[in-house]
Amino acid sequence: MTSADRRTWLIILGLAIALLLCIPLSQIIFHINYNHTLTVVALGGAALGILASVIGCFAVLRHESLLGDALSHAALPGVAIAFLIAGRQIVALLIGAAIASWLGTQFALAITRTTRIKQDTALGIVLTGWFAMGLALLSYIQSRADASQAGLDKFIFGQAAAMVQSDVEVIAIAALIAFVLLALFWKELKLITFDREFAQANGVRVRALDLLLSTLLVLTIVVGLQLAGVILMVGLLIAPAVAARQWTHQLGQMVVLAAVFGAFAGGSGAIISGLDVALPTGPLMIVMASMIVFFSLAFAPGRGLVWQKWQQWRTRLSLTQGQPIAAQPQSEM
Amino acid sequence: MYPLEHIILQFLQVFFSQDAINGVLGHPQTVAIMVGGLIALAGALPGTFLLLRGMSLTTDAISHTVLLGIVVAFIVLAALSGTTPDLSSPLLIMGAAGAGVVTVILTEMLYRSGLVRQDAALGLAFPLLFAISIILVSRYISNVHLDIDSVMIGEIGVAWTDTTSHCFAHCESVTITSDDARAVVKRECSNCVSENLYPRDARAVFENLCDNCRTYTPGEAWSRGYSTQKPELIFFPKSLTIMGVLTLVTVLFVTIFYKELKLATFDNGLAASLGLRPGALHYALMTLVSLVAVGAFNAVGSILVVAFFIIPAAAAYLLTDRLSRMLMIAPVIGILGAITGYDLSRGSVLGLFQMSDILKQLDGPLHLKGYTTWNVSISASMVIMLLILFIIAWVLSPRYGLIALAVRRWQQSRQFADILILGHISHHEGTPEAPEELNAATLYEHFHWSKRAMQWSLARLRALRLVQIEQEQVVLTERGREHLMNFRQEMGVR
Amino acid sequence: MPHHKTPLALEIHDLTVAYQSKPVVWDVDLSVSEGVLLAIVGPNGAGKSTLIKAALGLIPRASGDVEFFGTSYAQARDKVGYVPQRGSVDWDFPTNTLDVVMMGLYGQLGWFKRPGKREREIAMHALQQVGMQDFATRQISQLSGGQQQRTFLARALVQDAQLYFMDEPFAAVDAVTERAIVTLLQDLRAKGKTAIVVHHDLQTVPEYFDQVALLNKQLIAAGPVATTFTPENLRQTYGGRVSFLADGAQVVGMD
Repeated sequence: MTSADRRTWLIILGLAIALLLCIPLSQIIFHINYNHTLTVVALGGAALGILASVIGCFAVLRHESLLGDALSHAALPGVAIAFLIAGRQIVALLIGAAIASWLGTQFALAITRTTRIKQDTALGIVLTGWFAMGLALLSYIQSRADASQAGLDKFIFGQAAAMVQSDVEVIAIAALIAFVLLALFWKELKLITFDREFAQANGVRVRALDLLLSTLLVLTIVVGLQLAGVILMVGLLIAPAVAARQWTHQLGQMVVLAAVFGAFAGGSGAIISGLDVALPTGPLMIVMASMIVFFSLAFAPGRGLVWQKWQQWRTRLSLTQGQPIAAQPQSEM
Repeated sequence: MYPLEHIILQFLQVFFSQDAINGVLGHPQTVAIMVGGLIALAGALPGTFLLLRGMSLTTDAISHTVLLGIVVAFIVLAALSGTTPDLSSPLLIMGAAGAGVVTVILTEMLYRSGLVRQDAALGLAFPLLFAISIILVSRYISNVHLDIDSVMIGEIGVAWTDTTSHCFAHCESVTITSDDARAVVKRECSNCVSENLYPRDARAVFENLCDNCRTYTPGEAWSRGYSTQKPELIFFPKSLTIMGVLTLVTVLFVTIFYKELKLATFDNGLAASLGLRPGALHYALMTLVSLVAVGAFNAVGSILVVAFFIIPAAAAYLLTDRLSRMLMIAPVIGILGAITGYDLSRGSVLGLFQMSDILKQLDGPLHLKGYTTWNVSISASMVIMLLILFIIAWVLSPRYGLIALAVRRWQQSRQFADILILGHISHHEGTPEAPEELNAATLYEHFHWSKRAMQWSLARLRALRLVQIEQEQVVLTERGREHLMNFRQEMGVR
Repeated sequence: MPHHKTPLALEIHDLTVAYQSKPVVWDVDLSVSEGVLLAIVGPNGAGKSTLIKAALGLIPRASGDVEFFGTSYAQARDKVGYVPQRGSVDWDFPTNTLDVVMMGLYGQLGWFKRPGKREREIAMHALQQVGMQDFATRQISQLSGGQQQRTFLARALVQDAQLYFMDEPFAAVDAVTERAIVTLLQDLRAKGKTAIVVHHDLQTVPEYFDQVALLNKQLIAAGPVATTFTPENLRQTYGGRVSFLADGAQVVGMD
């Protein structure tokens, strides 16, 4: 490991510690009382943030950012049908969501494989069509005047206040499964994301790994739906990953840093929302995550816009003073 | 809006009676389909260009962020005018559309920084704007009528209820003041609610309050018996006006700028070098999309309007190769979806079968507790019909449909198999390996085909007199040689 | 199929690749011995990349057999190295040069094992061979085109293969890189290894390569440069749009 790498890891560690310290600090400064409910909510938010950002790193690097958006919307009819069959049982709803999302991806894949329609349009068809089916089913459920369907529409916008310990456990388990799988297949996933043809030529089972990643994506979305809501999961997937990319050149560091950012966004968003019932959770998590992204895009050394401007100013200065310029090729995404 | 509606109604009254017009405009199904049809038209035209540019999902992003625009415009207008703004006021619509444009600008800025890719840029911009709008709504507007559900999801079925009344005769509004003979005065406690007092409390203050003192529209005055003559009223659904205007603007825009849009979509660089300002055109198109999204939210909800942008255009893309035709087919599909969608919401699927029958079948296994009526969101049903129409186009399209594809593939693979064999013979004939390569009995091994497949092909080739078998070897006939040469020429190969 | 006494590095027999039932590579027979530098040339769309990809099993074949050292690709995989086109990869991926080179060793490591010190040393050695050792920790987006190409070559080198496929390695590279690639190729040949290279610059074919295969959907001719790289064959391959220097020197260009 080079000294630069070591430095970056230390910074990441320091950042994680600093963010953890926010908890006791917030207790002192803002007098936040971390009772059981709030703790549950905070842990759930942080866990979701970590899970989403880690998977999101791969989604973003594979240029599949909006796949998460389509999958989130496509989950709705699955939730409705699962509710019809099994009632408000969280595991059943999640399975229903997963099946509906998966069917949606297969449909979109079939369209792109057999017609000249491109992926973004195919995703759009699935997104709207599936979502409409979900809404139709939801309005049928609501027309039954059945008390147990209350809160089903929270799946669209998310609500942390309704979270219980078992929900957090589900998210934590999902996160654990995801991490184990990612760690096991780390180098192969890295390779197929970077150079798919080379991977194939070297006998890497590319299709199987694709399936693994899309399954993890569906799992993440499904698990996060009840907290962040359908429409906002996509933000949690993308923002921490893009933010982390600005600070590091290594995939490993990017993933860990994204997890730290995600934990902070998810946790703080959930906490703030838990304090005030009128504030929905998903939007708050997105706002926190977005602040991190915009800060990173502006100020990250080596890539950030402020740094770029500074470099340009320095170059102009050297030119006017007649000095040779140190050539540093500009990096782009 | 009002003067426009008034003129249209005056024009219509030349041909139709007031009762007839009210009958049409007051009929839920008719209005829903008319509004749906207008949305279909206003959506399909820009949607076609966006599909061709690979920007279909920006419509999704915009439809989410116009919520922010509505909220901000709402707050600003409320603050400026001091009253609750009308959800269908043009100012609100235009202000809200601004949010859509902001989304596009933000996405462009992120992309231009060179640090974020296009799909990620979109995925950063719109969730943020959407999140901010939800926070604003729940924080500041929850006590005013701006229900998130209705904005996002909407219900076109109630489009006919939200109307502006137009009066054409006996149009007197009546104002009742407290000294009017018709005033109803009651003795009421004026501070019980605000100070949380019981009427019997000593601090309660009683006043003579006029119960019905305000200005009444002609219709209200008549229904309450305050006027002597029935006013002639026609009720014009507001969403019809909004969508009408927006659709007209869209059609005009696409018609006037057709060639520029076509070129900019196909070859942005060339358009720019010809001075056609594709950038400005792009923003104009996005503004139009935003306006339509806002205009439609009242009826279909902003989430579902996206479907009208994407699905009909996609189906049309599978049905034709010409942009002009695509721009005509897409709206037709959209309108068809709107019409059949209404039926679906009432339970009738394309007139072929009933949803309630299906539900009755499922009642047992799914414990539906006897809820077998299917009467659901009309907007959602329209989108489902669009999806079904897309699937029909996907399967049945004469040129690009799945069936046509399968047929073509089968035909081609047969021809191709023939050519493979002929080519193989030509390649190896007269060479030392010929006896092994061209042995009729073992030929299938060289192609990894089954024995039967090879026998089939050979039989066909012999029937067509393209090959014959001589001394256990397959040999080209003159015809076969010619056939092969024609194919080679077609392929541009030696 | 005729068998040779010692298996050839590559034997392609009757290979046809089709796209939507139209052949893009048709009925190709090609035999390549060990210790040979072979250039594949042909006009655009001639199927050169397709030929390589089909041989490696990256795209499906309509018909034909391919043998590597007398066996199938799956069994000979560790003897074959592949250098794809530079443009097939997103160079903004967060990783450094050394890491990319180490990716070439993933096949040897198998599932679940992590690259360690030994792999790092092998990778550094390969970087030295292409003159890129100073760039080991450089983020790959900061590399020039030529440096990217050399990184890809180093990645192929660590595989220590007997047969290398390279897809347009000389495309748009600087002079230093070009020299490095040529040195590398000659090094390989000296060690008795084989390289099959898709090449676009007709001018340098006689200088860099021993053998050449002329492809335009079909194989027009293949063999030693001296006998195969003739004006007649070139005319057939490129459809008659080839011009020559007046003094008949063996330099060929296209108009």
